Amino acid sequence: MIKAVGFAFVFMLIVLGIFLWVGHSVTSMVGGGKKVVSAVEITPEGGETIFWGKGRCFTCHSVGGRGSAVRGPNQGVFGEKFQEPIGIRAESRARERSEKTGEEYSATDYLVESLAVPGAYVVSGYKNEMAIVYAPPISLNLKEVKAVITYLQSQGGEPDTEALENPSEISAKYIARIQAASDAGGGDPGAGAIVFEDNCMECHVVKGEGDEVGPDLSAISAKGLKFIAESILEPSKQITEGFETFEVIDLEGRKTTGLKTRDDADEVDITKATGEVVTIAKAEIKEINSGDLASIMPNDLIEALTVKDYQDVLSYMIMQKGE
Amino acid sequence: MRWAKPGLLLLGAVIAVLFAVDPAQAAMEASEYRQFLGIDSRRLVWFLAQMHLFFGAFVLGVPMFAVTVELVGWRQKEARYDKLAYEFTSLLSIAFATTAALGALLAFALFTLYPSFMGHMAGTFKDAMFVYALLFLLETASLYLYYYGWNWLSGTEVFSRHTRYVFKAAGVAVIVFGILLFFEAIGPEMRGDTRAFMTLLYALPLGVGLFIIRDRKTIHIFIGIVLNVAGTAILQMANSWAGYMMSPKGVSEDGVLVGTLWEAVENILATPIAIHRVLGNLAFGGLVAGAYAAVKFIGAKTAEDKAHYDWMGYIANFVAIIALIPLPFAGYYLGREVYSTSAIMGNNMMGGDFSWTFIIQAMLVGSIFIISNYYLWSGMTRIPGAERYYKYIKYILGALVLSFAIWLTPHNLPLTSQEVGEMGGSQYHPTLKFMGLMPAKNAVVNLIILSTFFSFLLYRRGNKSTVVPITSQGRMPLIAIPLAGLAATAVVGQYAWYLLELDPAELDLPADRAHYFRTVGYLLLFNCAAAVVAVALALRNMGKLAQGLYLAVTALSVVIFLGVYGFVVMEKASPFLRNVAVSQFLQLISCLILVTAIDIFLFKGAKEIGTLRWGKMSVRSQFALLALTFVITMNMGLMGFIRSGLRGDWHIFGIMRDTSEWSYTPSNATMTEMVGLAVLVFLVMVGFMFWLGNVQSRRKAEAASDDAANQSGSAD
Repeated sequence: MIKAVGFAFVFMLIVLGIFLWVGHSVTSMVGGGKKVVSAVEITPEGGETIFWGKGRCFTCHSVGGRGSAVRGPNQGVFGEKFQEPIGIRAESRARERSEKTGEEYSATDYLVESLAVPGAYVVSGYKNEMAIVYAPPISLNLKEVKAVITYLQSQGGEPDTEALENPSEISAKYIARIQAASDAGGGDPGAGAIVFEDNCMECHVVKGEGDEVGPDLSAISAKGLKFIAESILEPSKQITEGFETFEVIDLEGRKTTGLKTRDDADEVDITKATGEVVTIAKAEIKEINSGDLASIMPNDLIEALTVKDYQDVLSYMIMQKGE
Repeated sequence: MRWAKPGLLLLGAVIAVLFAVDPAQAAMEASEYRQFLGIDSRRLVWFLAQMHLFFGAFVLGVPMFAVTVELVGWRQKEARYDKLAYEFTSLLSIAFATTAALGALLAFALFTLYPSFMGHMAGTFKDAMFVYALLFLLETASLYLYYYGWNWLSGTEVFSRHTRYVFKAAGVAVIVFGILLFFEAIGPEMRGDTRAFMTLLYALPLGVGLFIIRDRKTIHIFIGIVLNVAGTAILQMANSWAGYMMSPKGVSEDGVLVGTLWEAVENILATPIAIHRVLGNLAFGGLVAGAYAAVKFIGAKTAEDKAHYDWMGYIANFVAIIALIPLPFAGYYLGREVYSTSAIMGNNMMGGDFSWTFIIQAMLVGSIFIISNYYLWSGMTRIPGAERYYKYIKYILGALVLSFAIWLTPHNLPLTSQEVGEMGGSQYHPTLKFMGLMPAKNAVVNLIILSTFFSFLLYRRGNKSTVVPITSQGRMPLIAIPLAGLAATAVVGQYAWYLLELDPAELDLPADRAHYFRTVGYLLLFNCAAAVVAVALALRNMGKLAQGLYLAVTALSVVIFLGVYGFVVMEKASPFLRNVAVSQFLQLISCLILVTAIDIFLFKGAKEIGTLRWGKMSVRSQFALLALTFVITMNMGLMGFIRSGLRGDWHIFGIMRDTSEWSYTPSNATMTEMVGLAVLVFLVMVGFMFWLGNVQSRRKAEAASDDAANQSGSAD
């Protein structure tokens, strides 16, 4: 029996040896095992590093004969479908986009839009499934996105860094979106809009949509990221003027808590957190308190949101500039 | 309770941190990392997790194997099956303690080396972790009862009618509960796959186990089923954490995230991973048992021992093949769900960091199928009459090797600039580039499975002289074969209907691409028609023709037509390619169901040409069994590396980033080193356990022999 076990053991070592040899051979051919490098320069070389590394663009897009991905459009010259590289193709795509939208798109605008809102103008025959590269899990920052755009422009064309530094109205809108997302820890403003609709719209208005229980947030961006983050995490820390909480105690000792939305000679209206408006005659009021009362905004909102939701809604808020 | 000790340690460790953490806070704050003796923490956790998973798979897979074998022995009234099941259960006791000890070690390593990450996990899943620990105790208790109660619960004295009725009623109630759960009449809101998983692996076995109780032996079988249910539930629970790390969802009752704890537990990838692991564990359990049999066969001195271990190896391999055949589909389903969860993870899997790891995986899986076939063909040498089918082997081998070669072919080749120049400036070989694309790979994977199935059919009919007319077998085949046909047409037909109705806009395709869907839809309808014809032929005593027809239609449709049409779809309507793969899978599954059903009745009670010559196997075939065990163990490690690595530099995908110095994907060389080391240590430890088991059984045999001698002496 010992002999049989010995045979089995040697055989196992041989099989494991082959396994190790295969692993090492593959690694010596194709590399691997490096920490992802993040480029900081807005150059085609920087963009190339991001495209084939941190940005993970190569998992869907090939560039001509480089790479093997076919899920997304090839960014080089490939087959009948892609007879021009993206640096040239972007111009014809921009013309098509201009015709469809009525706005004047440049090649840079088209590329910026494609990275900011990938579903805006999907290449025919491909699915609208590109990830938001400036949101988790990829989370590219604005510089890295711009670097990728210059890399794409360099495929058959000339990088136009000027158009990225002084963007047109179309590009500026998208660049602001990416910047906002990046500032907010890499949230996706598109997803943030949905989170806002689900969790915040019952009390807040953005661009005329929602209920006016709490402050209008259409221009909240001006207050800065720190203020917005604190307002979500600790709503009572700094209450916007006019939205202080009042507690009305009537002659029978009943308490009504909410915002004071009307105050005239005979009556006051208290709007509760639920949106319900309670009218109380002044003659029946024993006491009205304010000052140190907590905001009626739920203080456990962060517990109802995933971290991603929080980042998404933060990026959505930072984009609300009131225009 | 020595087996439970490590489990209690684990429970203690969990409790210690459960109440001290705020998951949301842990997710947002900078993560803390520590090291033990300066060792790379990731490698340490990787090794421990892999060892725990290997032993976990062993202690979950072997009971599945043991109870199945015991059940077969009980049904066929053959004591040798019972003996075999007991032999394997005896190995579990040592493995169980080792698994728990490794689990505790892994938990300590995670809590001490990755405190922030484990803070979030423990905070989110604290209630589930208690359930996990309780399930562990249930598994321990049922294993005790199952193993130590083997002889005590071997009696076949039938219980009173009243008692039997009580058990039957309980069994029916559990089955009804399972059916209601499956059809969403009861239970919390959950995915369809989770409902199917819980119905098929919990309610149905428990219900059947209760229903068949009539004596002590059947109670013992029921305890074995409880052991497996507890083990599977542990697997499901642990997988929910692994799934949560990839597709986080839900919230604890404390309201840390959104929803409920159940949502966190039943995250998108939890059940697909669990399905894949259950099948993998069954195959693994079977093959480890097969390796044990192979070593014993090689070392056997007597013909009787050789016959016994040859038979044991055959049974082990048979169970493994049953699990292996659907495993690629479970893998495909898991991959599809990964892709649905995150295109980034999905793309990284097949086209990113892990594309070459998948080439290595293809080598391993291809080897498993080729070696399994080789073992079956070797087994035919012990079957009188099987020589009639030897002529087919070379064709099956040709199909397997060709398929294997295509499966291995990468799309683009890592070439030097000189080689690129010689190939016309492209990294793609003019012909081979097509072999590297998914349509070719989908076609050959299906061909590999069909070929293996064909080998299995030949093996089954090896010593049968003639088929038995189905019309002479009473009502059973008249019910079973049409039912199998109905299942096949339902599986294929519902998808045909879906494709015929599918709106191209759902796949972001223009309306003029609808005809690609319709073509595949009509092809599936044709397959349904072939199934109906096959059933009709089988019921008219033309079973062989029925099998040939349905196999041929399936092979032509799945391998040839859709293999080629896949390229057209890829060019013109790429998003639809996934639906083509599903169409291939459904046709293949239907073929396996119907052809097997016909085969069972075709040779039921058929005259045998000769008796199987157990033990008349080459030693080479036993090395094939050993190789299967080594390769499947390596493959498990490799797939674990891919699954875990897909998260990239995230502990919890999209929520908690890995900011440690190890937050990058290791190379394939590192992967083979780590997995190789774990495989080596695991197999050496398992070998040691087998040896311990042998010492114990030898002692028992000697004690029994001494007792017999003493009794004989007293009688004299």
